[in-house]
Amino acid sequence: MFQNRRLGLLLLAPATIFVALGFIVPVLILLSGAFRAEGGWTLGHYLEFFAQPLNREVFLRTFRLGLIVTAVSAVVGYGVAMAVVEAGPKSKGRLVALLVLPLMISPVARTYAWLVILGRTGFVNVFLTDIGLIDSPLRLLFTETAVFIGLIQLFFPLMVLPLISSLENLPRDVIPAARVLGASWPAVFFKVVLPLTKEGLVVGGTLVFVGSLTAYVTPAILGGSKVLMLETLLYQRVSVANDFASAAVIAVILIVMSVATNVLLKRLASVRRSKAEAK
Amino acid sequence: MTRLSLAASLLALAAASPALAQDKTLTISVYGIAQDAYDVALYKPFEAKCGCKLVIETGNSSERLAKLEANAAAPVVDVIAFSDANALDAAKKGLLAPLDPAAIPSLGQIYDFAKDPVGDNMAVGYTFYGTSIVYRSDVVKIESWLDLFKPELAGQVALPNITTTQGPITLFMLEKALGKDDPDFADAIDLVAEHKGDIVTFYERGSQIPQLLQQEEIMAAVVGRFGWANIAKLGLPVEWAKPKEGQTGGMNVLAMVKGAKDPALAQEFIDYWLSAEVQQKLAEGLVDSPVNTSVKVDDVIAEGLTYGADTAAAIHFLPAEQQLTNREAWLAGWNAKVAQ
Repeated sequence: MFQNRRLGLLLLAPATIFVALGFIVPVLILLSGAFRAEGGWTLGHYLEFFAQPLNREVFLRTFRLGLIVTAVSAVVGYGVAMAVVEAGPKSKGRLVALLVLPLMISPVARTYAWLVILGRTGFVNVFLTDIGLIDSPLRLLFTETAVFIGLIQLFFPLMVLPLISSLENLPRDVIPAARVLGASWPAVFFKVVLPLTKEGLVVGGTLVFVGSLTAYVTPAILGGSKVLMLETLLYQRVSVANDFASAAVIAVILIVMSVATNVLLKRLASVRRSKAEAK
Repeated sequence: MTRLSLAASLLALAAASPALAQDKTLTISVYGIAQDAYDVALYKPFEAKCGCKLVIETGNSSERLAKLEANAAAPVVDVIAFSDANALDAAKKGLLAPLDPAAIPSLGQIYDFAKDPVGDNMAVGYTFYGTSIVYRSDVVKIESWLDLFKPELAGQVALPNITTTQGPITLFMLEKALGKDDPDFADAIDLVAEHKGDIVTFYERGSQIPQLLQQEEIMAAVVGRFGWANIAKLGLPVEWAKPKEGQTGGMNVLAMVKGAKDPALAQEFIDYWLSAEVQQKLAEGLVDSPVNTSVKVDDVIAEGLTYGADTAAAIHFLPAEQQLTNREAWLAGWNAKVAQ
């Protein structure tokens, strides 16, 4: 658009300077802090961090919960997305609105609602006791289950929305064509629908996985210190122990995990796509 | 940018109009709570009295301590308020200047334990609180710190996490109740670890407790007295325990930063904060329990505070020195046995 390259650069300058000063420089300072010891560079902070059994456990828990939340969102999300795409135009609008609505409510409010729903005198326990399934209330709050439920509810729409848009772009006749050619329903899904909507899955998967890794409010409120995650541990290190070195280490781990997930999933999708195109 | 230019124009304005200029300023660093109440009871009256201007910085104690350390070469803050252990930490790092008792006449009116809590006149206590167990009296009776682990309370107790101020002092009392005297609290940590499945949560914010009690998530918890007013008004049969081992508690202190621009003014401010006049107002507003012995409040107000010489005398304070020396050991023991 701009013939004049210099003008283009000039117009880019304010945003670039803003991002550089406001984001890149602080991130670099943070990153370098995690690798610095008195007088030199070191990996010592990382070795120290992973030498502690508690930290390893927290790391694995964060990773595991992220994977489970993403996998469950993807499986359920495909079902929901297909139902939305197949619905008539009027109900489609309503369904999408229902999906988007929770995104407009603050995560703090949503998580607090779970505090009430999952409590000993909350809806779930009262219902299960009333129908005679349990005798005494279950301990749901401050468990991994509670954190899982909170995260799923928080991030599920971020999986479904990209899947809907991918499914909408799926040519309408590929499914009948596959069926006519003798493919079973599972074969239709895995050989036709899944490869053609992979991009939606990658976008959704990245958003949900990275979101689960880095969410703070939900694990803090529903898990507490009994179900520490990397981000609640980070908060503890900074605001309580005044230990900025291990906080920086955790921040770096979270950044690396987020970026790696994005790169990995993107590569996975593009490899499949170029293979498909080559055929 | 806007804030910068606004500040610049305000500065210009101040410079241009000598009538508005106040040549004396005092920068104080305090906890972020109840600032409106402090403004009325302390800040405004002090500004009127000294003809100076107060600049107030707020934040939690660890971030303010970190800031103090970062600015050690060119201190910004003159007077800082934080816990006794924080003050000792700062004093050991050479960040504080000793107070001159002669410059603080109110010292004569305050409890002995608040006069020089960290030694060398490095700080003076301005408020204190008791910490004990709150419990549902219709469910259980608490007469000892060890009653927290009674079978009928299994799965219904919240304890403070080791990372909070209340955490170590809870272990301190459990160690006492066990009849042990290990500065690393090894026996108390073992006891908590043995029952960790029965503890609903190790809380990090005391403000969670009223909600957990209301939802009948918990029937007992260890809390600081400053949280009692909010618990009492739930309308539940909740009581404040008087365990046979006594209560524990904590103290917040005021200290003068090394390199404070105007030590006389800084100490005048500390003296004013400790005065009966200010302590009375802060007590009546249920902001801070008074250390000044001439403060008098009625029973209703006293109920919301840690008030009176008898109450004060019955509190087992965990010495700041011990908190500082053993903190790492407590954390390590806790992380190895309880947190996993």
